[in-house]
Parts: sequence; C-alpha cells; structure tokens
Amino acid sequence: MAYQAQYYPGNSQIAKNRRRYMDPSEKLKKLRDVAMDDVVRILGHRAPGEDYKSIHPPLEEGNEPDDYVRKLVTPIEGAKKGDRIRYVQFTDSIYFAPMVPYLRAWMYMTRMRGFDTGTLSGRQIIEMRERDLEKASKELIDNETFDPAKTGIRGATVHGHACRLDENGLMFDAWQRYRWNAKKGEVEYVKDQVALPLDKPISVGKPLPDAELKKMTTIFRVDGVDMIDDPEVMAMNLRIHRLRTLCGFQAFALKGE
Amino acid sequence: MMTSTNAPEAVPLPEILIFPNRLLKAETTEKLLNRIYEVPHVRQVNIAGEALPAVLSSGPNKGLPNEHPERRVITVKGEQVELRLLVGRVFVEIDDIDHVQRALEEIDEICIEILPFGFNLEVGRYSKYKPTVTDYKKCKR
Repeated sequence: MAYQAQYYPGNSQIAKNRRRYMDPSEKLKKLRDVAMDDVVRILGHRAPGEDYKSIHPPLEEGNEPDDYVRKLVTPIEGAKKGDRIRYVQFTDSIYFAPMVPYLRAWMYMTRMRGFDTGTLSGRQIIEMRERDLEKASKELIDNETFDPAKTGIRGATVHGHACRLDENGLMFDAWQRYRWNAKKGEVEYVKDQVALPLDKPISVGKPLPDAELKKMTTIFRVDGVDMIDDPEVMAMNLRIHRLRTLCGFQAFALKGE
Repeated sequence: MMTSTNAPEAVPLPEILIFPNRLLKAETTEKLLNRIYEVPHVRQVNIAGEALPAVLSSGPNKGLPNEHPERRVITVKGEQVELRLLVGRVFVEIDDIDHVQRALEEIDEICIEILPFGFNLEVGRYSKYKPTVTDYKKCKR
C-alpha cells in the first residue's frame, strides 16, 4: 500500500487549517493580485525588466560533471539558467496571522521544490533561484497565507511579530515598509523588503476582518482556540517533548514508547 | 525609555502605568501627555515603547536615514520633545501616595476619551527612583 502522508493531528479548526495549508492537493484561495513587476520591486533584488544575473553557465551547455543525483533530480527553471540564489522573508504577527513560521516551513516543504528555508521565532526565509523565487513570492503574497496587516515582507529588522498592533491595526515595523492608506482602506508598501524607498506605493489590498482571520488562522491562542482544547494535538506535542527529553534526536532508540 | 526630569526622589513615589491595547501614534501620544500633565499632582511622566531608529542599522542599506512618520518632534507642555518611540507604556509618577486614587480616576477618564481601542491601568513602582550601583559605575549620575 502506498504511503499516505498524515499532515497534522487534531479536530479543532486550527488543526484543520494547518492540515489544509500543508496538503498540496488542497488549492489555496487567491485573495489578491499584485502585479509581478510590483513583487519584483518589493523584493528589491533586481529592477523589473532587468536581466537575471547568473552564477554559472546554463545546464544545457553540459559542462557539469557526470553525477547520479543530477540524473535523478529535475532542475528548477532558475537552476537550469544558472540564476543567483536570492531570498524573501515573511514575518507573521501573533495576532491571528494566517500563518506561523514553522508551519510555513512545513507548507513550503509539501508544496514547493528547489529552495532552502529557515525558521525563526517570528519570520521565515526562503532562499531560491531568482526567477523561481519571484514566482513563489507572488503566489505567497496573492494567496490566503498572506494578510496585508498581519504579515510583513521584511528582509532585515523584522522585529514586530510579538508587539502590539499599531492604531491602524498593522503589525509594528521599525522601518515602516508599509503604511495604512485611510482613503482607500488598503495597506501599501512604500519601501522594499530592506527599506529602500520605492518610486511609487504598491498596494497589497485590504486587511482581512478580525473575525475572518480567527477562522482561517493557524495560531493556537488562549483568546482564540486553545491548544489544550484539542487533545490529539496536545498528546502529539507532549509526546515529542517527552521523546526529546529522554533521548534527544534519537527518538527511535527508545524502546516501548 | 524617555524621561521628563532628572531630579532624584527621596522616597519611591507611586506610578500609574497606562498600558494601551495598541501602540500609540505620535499624534495620540502628544494629546495624551498634554492631558495627563493637566492632572493635579502629576510629578513626571516616563514613556516606553518600540524604538524607531534614526538610521537603518542593518541590511544592504545600512546607514541610510530611516524615514518613519511617527518619529518626529511633538510639543508637550509647550516644550519640543523628539519622540523616538512608538509608545506602548506610559508611567505617570504621582507626588504622594494620598493623591493616587484621585489621579487614577482622572487619568481613567482621559484614557477612555483618547484611547478608544482599550487600555489597562495599574498602580505600582515600575522604574528605579534613585541611581543604582551600576549607574555610579557607569558615571551616569
């Protein structure tokens, strides 16, 4: 029988959301459409329309040494062309952002290929070949894993995920890369992800209402859905802690657990 | 932490902590501080919050000015003060413990008016009231 992935345990709404985001067979809703050129501007790695810089000749020139893994793995588009590795980094507020950093990592692992990712307490970086990174970034900005007010695109000085929101309901950003446009009721980026001012503001749309966010979030919170109310999730987490405490990373070495 | 006076105190005085549910804009901070200073028996007001750096301290644009609209000069009691924070906590020091209850009631009324998104009020002592040994070692006083 073929192996069937079990993405996340539990029956609470949060557990169901987590499973849905991680399951690649589930199509994520597209909530906005930010133009590709604007995504490129926010990333700040190249000007829109500029050629991709390369770090090695295209693979089709055949200069690579013979290797089993090369035969086994189909390269992604950017790798074929020899693109540079560039990055995008998302910050998720603890105030019911749609995603949390480690869930982002799990989701990327099941939905994308050809990248490296790193998880920190409030942010999640993706490193990838440039042209593939741009496509992935656009998808992650356009779909339901992104909320203009509670998710930030921040390459450096990401501090703010655990701070209170500001008066407009936006996550704190010491560099104010995005601002609230009261007339339109939208959030717009005025700086790229490393705070270089943009020529013109880029709108990323209206923030989702709090009630909506509480339904689609993946964050267990005492004032939302408490993890303790989902026994299966609690049991899994306690088991992980127990095994980790007893035998570090060699959970398999423990007999009878 | 931004403090309004350097005068040391003889005894630890009570402080009222205003803890808003949102980080305050410069405009709201200015309004709130001016109203608080109108309350009788307020000795000094200290504010704390999230720092807004003047220049970018990391990344490829390190050293460029950080244009943040909330980092600006505000006028408190007719004095120009450079606000370098997005304010998250306000400590109001009262000159005597007997005046705390009355001041608390007045500050509550002001906060209800100026902070519609909610706040908490607490009474206690949240900051040092005289220099510590470390301060002497650092020659701060």
